[in-house]
Amino acid sequence: MRPARVLITLLLALVATAGHPTRSAAAAAADSAASAPGPVVKATPPAAVTTVSVERERPVREKLPTVQFLRANRDFIRARFDRLRLESHDAHAGAGDIDPRFLAYRRLLAEIAASKDSVARASDARERQGVFTSVEDLAALERELDEMERQLDTQRARLGVLQADFAGRQRTELDLVITGGTLAGRVDSVRVTLEDGTSVSSTLTETQRGSLQHGGALEVFCGLVEPREQVIEIALMGEGWSGTGHGFLSIEPARDRLTFLKLDLSQAKPALGIASLTASTWLLDAGQDASPLRAEAGQERP
Amino acid sequence: MDDRAPRSPLRLPLAVVCAALCVAGAAHAGSAPPFAARAGLELASAAAQAWSADAALVYVENDEALDGAGVSPRWSYLFYSASEDRARLWSVRGGRIAAAENLDMRFDAPPVASGWLDSGAALAAAERGGGAEFRKDHGGRLETMLLMRGAFSEGDPDETTWTLVYRAQGVPSLFVVVSAADGKVQRTWRG
Repeated sequence: MRPARVLITLLLALVATAGHPTRSAAAAAADSAASAPGPVVKATPPAAVTTVSVERERPVREKLPTVQFLRANRDFIRARFDRLRLESHDAHAGAGDIDPRFLAYRRLLAEIAASKDSVARASDARERQGVFTSVEDLAALERELDEMERQLDTQRARLGVLQADFAGRQRTELDLVITGGTLAGRVDSVRVTLEDGTSVSSTLTETQRGSLQHGGALEVFCGLVEPREQVIEIALMGEGWSGTGHGFLSIEPARDRLTFLKLDLSQAKPALGIASLTASTWLLDAGQDASPLRAEAGQERP
Repeated sequence: MDDRAPRSPLRLPLAVVCAALCVAGAAHAGSAPPFAARAGLELASAAAQAWSADAALVYVENDEALDGAGVSPRWSYLFYSASEDRARLWSVRGGRIAAAENLDMRFDAPPVASGWLDSGAALAAAERGGGAEFRKDHGGRLETMLLMRGAFSEGDPDETTWTLVYRAQGVPSLFVVVSAADGKVQRTWRG
């Protein structure tokens, strides 16, 4: 008979994944791999990490001429547009086909809810029964465990469908995290400004500063970026940093990939300025078994 | 007395190396393969969607010289976002975005129709519609190709058109407007 620990693990995994499919499933898979014998999660080779230098001055780039005809004839073209008048037309727009995946998602959600109900019902019954009184009870428990295994398998299959759908549509994204506590000074907030003018500011709490000191990471920005070489402006603000914590770094996010950019503050101090930060980038592995876990920093990733 | 710092013996070789690198860089920069306008659209669109979800293509123009097949090493794609109320362009060269900038003028142009004719086909039509003759008679050359909606179309202002500009010394330029839907020459004029 299986140990009760396996049952608890399975129950927890099933209930957790029913509520939050993608992230929880990955976590549950890792939990079960760590706590119970079974298939071992295959270690992935480390992704290529690129070191990026943080500079005090904005890097100078060659200015290429663009849309020269438009610029030279701007008044003429503007005048032509001003002559255009809006006219209303009656038109019938045809209804497009609904993406079959959207219909499938609804079915998946219904199946997840049904699985959750089954597990909850079995759990309630077991609690009411309290103790096993006979060999028949143990056999019933064995059947329940088998049923839960089947539920778990179907849940894995559903997650596989979702993973294939969403991982296959990865767009160009940047995830900027900071790690490490500074050697001197105190960072109260971090501001990131992209070339298109997007600016994001994160304020650090005392708890977050403590977490950074002890190996934690804080996500400052996560969003779509243009797939091209670009300069990101970084500003650290706080005691000792407001005057010196301003710098630039050049990155080139790969198209349709998730690029991680890590700023390590562990060797930083105001006397050395912003250049005392170390920065590195790497890409999220785009494999079939890609999961959020694989993006996390570890011994194989900075 | 000469109080200048003594010349470093490394200065000359360093200058030579720098010059060589510059020449190599220039050569590399000039070696980007020319491509038709549509080939860079996907990359520029990916950048535009990262900038603004409602970004729509409103204008295309060659940024570097065109050849006889209607291809250029660099094209600019200008997008307008109503939510941002501004226009931003991406210039594509060698399969990469070589430049990105906000347009310093108001340009709330209507989006070009999807499925527009590529630059090669538009050029072929323009050549038949007077471009080839102009080049032959005046020693002219094709200087600009631009795609937009409304501004150069005389009949239907809703139509997306290619406008090709031929230039020659000493004579007015030739403008040829080609429908980006069916490749028909809509009008030509000198100016």
